[in-house]
Amino acid sequence: MTTKQPPIVAHDLVRHFGTVKAVDGVDLEVHDGEIFGFLGPNGAGKSTVIRMLTTLLKPTSGSAQVAGFDVVTQANDVRRNIGVALQDAAIDPLMTGNELLHLQAVLYGLPVAQVKPRAAELLERVGLIGAADRRVGTYSGGMRRRLDLALSLIHQPTVLFLDEPTTGLDPMSRITLWEEVRRLNSEGTTVLLTTQYLEEADQLADRVAIIDHGKIVKEGTPTELKAAVGAPTLLISVPATQALTARDVLARFGELRTTAEGSLGVGLAGGAGAVTDVVRALDEAGIKVQHLELNEPSLDDVFAESTGYRLEGAATAMTDAGGPAPTAKKGRRK
Amino acid sequence: MTAAVFSTPMTPAPPVQARGLWWSQTLAMSKRSVIAIVRQPALVIPSLIFPLFFAALGTSSFGRAINLPNFPKVDNFLDFSLAGSVVQGVLFGSVTGGAALATDIEQGFFDRLLATPTSRVSILVGRLAGAALFGAFQALFFIIVLLPFGVRIAAGVPGVIIIVICGGLTGMAIGGFTAAMALKTGSSEAVQGSFPLLFIALFFSSAFFPRQTMQGAYKVIADVNPVSHLVEGIRGLVTDGFTAGHVVAALLVPTAIGVVSITLAMRTLYSRLASR
Repeated sequence: MTTKQPPIVAHDLVRHFGTVKAVDGVDLEVHDGEIFGFLGPNGAGKSTVIRMLTTLLKPTSGSAQVAGFDVVTQANDVRRNIGVALQDAAIDPLMTGNELLHLQAVLYGLPVAQVKPRAAELLERVGLIGAADRRVGTYSGGMRRRLDLALSLIHQPTVLFLDEPTTGLDPMSRITLWEEVRRLNSEGTTVLLTTQYLEEADQLADRVAIIDHGKIVKEGTPTELKAAVGAPTLLISVPATQALTARDVLARFGELRTTAEGSLGVGLAGGAGAVTDVVRALDEAGIKVQHLELNEPSLDDVFAESTGYRLEGAATAMTDAGGPAPTAKKGRRK
Repeated sequence: MTAAVFSTPMTPAPPVQARGLWWSQTLAMSKRSVIAIVRQPALVIPSLIFPLFFAALGTSSFGRAINLPNFPKVDNFLDFSLAGSVVQGVLFGSVTGGAALATDIEQGFFDRLLATPTSRVSILVGRLAGAALFGAFQALFFIIVLLPFGVRIAAGVPGVIIIVICGGLTGMAIGGFTAAMALKTGSSEAVQGSFPLLFIALFFSSAFFPRQTMQGAYKVIADVNPVSHLVEGIRGLVTDGFTAGHVVAALLVPTAIGVVSITLAMRTLYSRLASR
């Protein structure tokens, strides 16, 4: 790094594709040694931001510095100092893991003598020693992601970009990858990752930015964000015929919250202790409660609070083009 | 942050060597394009089989055409058709390299490369080097396979060497066009769609029949078709002998085509990079 400035800084970053504003004025500052999570649904602009920060796309306007270098005017210096694992950048299926690591090492200019030990070290690190000489075409999804991670680390970058590192992975593979990311971070690597999984952001990230329609709508540590939502959420399910009455009852105990289809939610202003009062009130109103659940604030609530819809619950309702499908509930947009 | 378990702590970043980096990057990219050829026999074998099929068909059907009044003096039809087989094979084979580059763009491997400090030119040159090696291999392959069937190279071993080099240059020259198409469209289907065009270029040339026996518009097209001149450079070495004129023709024609196609490919590469 040439200066003391944070490893990733972006000012009013904008990117248009024709008339579409994919990224609409993003300001960002990721601190040294941090894991920064970029959270948002498909099409929110996460990948476009990461592609600009990794020099693959030029900003329409605004500026960004990564590892102390400008992403437009010093693109090659940026590339030398960052590791990049992009979700939509396939790994050549015809080559073996070992061959790809060797290729990557040469592309980054590692001295010949170091290529072999470095490749072996990384293969061991991501648990692919046994598969090193197999073609990538035969790898499972989890193995490819781990190889992808190893490839991005060949030159020991100070800043690592992971674009949806666990999308489509089974839970075990996901946890393995999380552990590896944590380990890298504890060794000093600054990590910016994008994800559409709230749990991933909550588990991994020191700070989270929620991006929606090309704008950052909320930013902070998961704890801060959750605390800002405040009250725990009480979720109930009632027969459809009683839903309206139940809503009126719940509204007496706090602000109604956006929930998945078929249930009602309220942020309990009186805290968890108010649950008995709510139950009594529902009973007095003659409402038959089928299911009741009390949730402490989660990033899911933060997300719903900031964007007006839920992410994972509504995951199937997300369209490919991005943004919520008509079925996603538009709630109280702040 | 969790407490780290250092099973294999990372060693400090090795210093980056600058000198000769372009060459090693290009070499590594070339190696990759050769791997792609070797490991996809289904894509490669047709470009080796079809020209042999055409040579066999031509020899059995038109074997006695060599006695036609205007036909150049050759010992047998196979001597005449060898040059056509080589150029046909290289033309068809060069579609593979272009299609592979387009596939890289489609599937994101191209972006993966662009995210590294790799010289952008290395990415293209690596592909072209692969095409050149494959073209040279094809030339040698056709000579060796057709030798037992009576092919004689009048220019001898030096002639074979020039033909192999010519095959390499031709592979690179045509590869330049298919690479340009790949970089322009980013679609492997579009590149593969150029196949019929190559077929037309081949049929309106002297690949299968000598220009001396052609007439009318067909002859006019064959006269200006660069493929005719590519074929005839090699043909002179096979049927006539090792002369300065034939050597220059065999090397200069593909080089000239290559200058045009590679310039086009470079320009397309830079305009693709600039439009990001």
